Amino acid sequence: MARSAQFTRRLDRIGLTRDVRRIVYAYVAAIALFAIGDVVHPGFARLDSIAAILTVASFVGIVAAGQTFVVLIGGIDLSVPWVLNGAAILMVTTSLGDDGRAAYALLLTLGMGAVAGMANGFVIAFLGVPAVVMTLAMNGIMEGLTLGLSGGMTCGSCASYAPPIIQSAVHGSLFGIPTAIILWVIIIAAVSVVLSLTTFGRKAYAIGNNVQASYLAGINVRLVTVLLYGISGLFAALAGILLVGFGGQASLGMGDPYLFQSIAAVVIGGVYMLGGRGHYLGTAAGAVTLVALVSVLLAMNMPDYGRNIIYGLVILVLLLLYGREEKED
Amino acid sequence: MSTDSTAQRRKTSAFTYFLGQNVGLVLALVMLVMAVILYCAVYWIEQQTLPGNFEITSTVNNTMPLVLAAVGQAFVVLTRGLDLSVGGIMDLSNALAAVYIHDSLASMVGWSLLILLISTILGLVNGLLVGVGRLQPILVTLATLSIYQGIAIRVLPQPGGAIPPVYTSVLVNPYQPYALGYLLLVAFVWYAFRRSFIGVSIFAIGNDEQAAMANGINVVRARVTAFTLSGLMSGTAGLFLAATATAGDATTGNGFTLSSIVAVVLGGMNLFGGRGSGVGVIAGAFVTTMIVNILFFSNIDPLYQSFYEGLFLVIAVVLGTLISRLLRRRS
Repeated sequence: MARSAQFTRRLDRIGLTRDVRRIVYAYVAAIALFAIGDVVHPGFARLDSIAAILTVASFVGIVAAGQTFVVLIGGIDLSVPWVLNGAAILMVTTSLGDDGRAAYALLLTLGMGAVAGMANGFVIAFLGVPAVVMTLAMNGIMEGLTLGLSGGMTCGSCASYAPPIIQSAVHGSLFGIPTAIILWVIIIAAVSVVLSLTTFGRKAYAIGNNVQASYLAGINVRLVTVLLYGISGLFAALAGILLVGFGGQASLGMGDPYLFQSIAAVVIGGVYMLGGRGHYLGTAAGAVTLVALVSVLLAMNMPDYGRNIIYGLVILVLLLLYGREEKED
Repeated sequence: MSTDSTAQRRKTSAFTYFLGQNVGLVLALVMLVMAVILYCAVYWIEQQTLPGNFEITSTVNNTMPLVLAAVGQAFVVLTRGLDLSVGGIMDLSNALAAVYIHDSLASMVGWSLLILLISTILGLVNGLLVGVGRLQPILVTLATLSIYQGIAIRVLPQPGGAIPPVYTSVLVNPYQPYALGYLLLVAFVWYAFRRSFIGVSIFAIGNDEQAAMANGINVVRARVTAFTLSGLMSGTAGLFLAATATAGDATTGNGFTLSSIVAVVLGGMNLFGGRGSGVGVIAGAFVTTMIVNILFFSNIDPLYQSFYEGLFLVIAVVLGTLISRLLRRRS
């Protein structure tokens, strides 16, 4: 015990603090999974297969970006599934598969996501409703609105395809790299800059660490909360647009897997659920780890139930590893 | 509390003081009464008669699984946690019941007890990971939810199996509202729990963990017990769910994770721990079911159902917070 404490202290001194170490673990886990995958299924770590996995991971990663922001202030966003699903359906029904309407539909959909998120933030910040309750209710509200307005996906325009320009943008590639991955890298860079280098990012960390102290230090806690939930809604809507561009059409229930996956990515990425600690760089690695894990299990022809069980076990093991470090401090 | 406010409190009536202390419970009961009146009204408009024995029986029977799941959730919420694995344990208990319970008395009693034991152990696993492993409740139960659901699907890959009619008529009699008896039993169990040593410990750690520890309460044991009780209640809820549906499905329990949280919140329980009552939670579960019934009889497009449920949840919680603030200021 004493020796390992000494060891961690030495790591701290060379800049590998606990928070940095957690991010490193997430990347090590991702790389290890690719190595394991290549052993059980030769060709798993080929470039095109890695690109395919990263593309799928980018959707999870983008949703998880929003989730990271709200988790940093000790919140959680359970409204992700139907904000995403509603966005996907709004995208096809307003654009009607027409390139000319694509820009308008894009702005409208992103705006819808941001408004839904900001409504979450507003009720949480100003009316004191717990985040779990508010975002859960918002998920129901969005579900009811989406189902009701689209007549349960029976409306004439519901079967429309995403505009070709968006489809080709998601499927295309630049210098041999799929655009979805490029977009994700840009988002990773942007979110990292916001978190680490702007006052807005530092305010988010401050609120997550201590709301009272942040308020006394002159931070407009309520405004930042509203904005952060707005960003989360925005990212969920963006993921909906990308998914509908990727798959061509929208469907009911397409957002459901993203709640569990976005939270799991945040956890694997070493973001502290009570807020104030962690970084999107970790979450991004968490998303890759998660999708790589699913792909490995699929490659091993693991049935559904086995995947569920291993999914849960991996998260538990990581939690226990992180928890162990916590106690050493 | 300063002497000033103590003097002030003596002036206000005992009734106002009671309201201030139990505002969640009172609001939940008021909501329930309002929901019942509204339900009778829309039912009268549609059918020109008041709801009878059949409606009461089916409402009670359909709400029993949620009541049990919500009370289980309540134990964990008291400790300032959330149990997301409620749905997973219900799935597993439901699937096991559909596959293994057969017509003989020995099979029914034996397997029911075994299923409850398994559910309790699953809850204990959650509790040990949270209490001894010192992990976040939400994260642990998110992971175990996935694991328990996986096992449930392994037990019953496709919806099916069968529950003996005798079993159904004992748990949720389709002709008479005998299930009300179980409701009283749940309320009594809560009453006993509230006054037991472990109950007091769980309330205490929810209110102030440091203070509870300083007063010699075994925090780890209280926390593990809360999760274990939640597992037991979720398992019971799964059995009732199987009995109501007369068949098993390893996925029907999923929705109960979230609806149990809704029922707990509508029941006036504080998500930040240490406050709440079992009767309130039971009322909250019934309000949740009544809303669906009211929407059905007022001819609202069922596609909009979640919209109204979500909206109602927000409004109820916001109003509850405002009223309790008002009452606390006065008392």
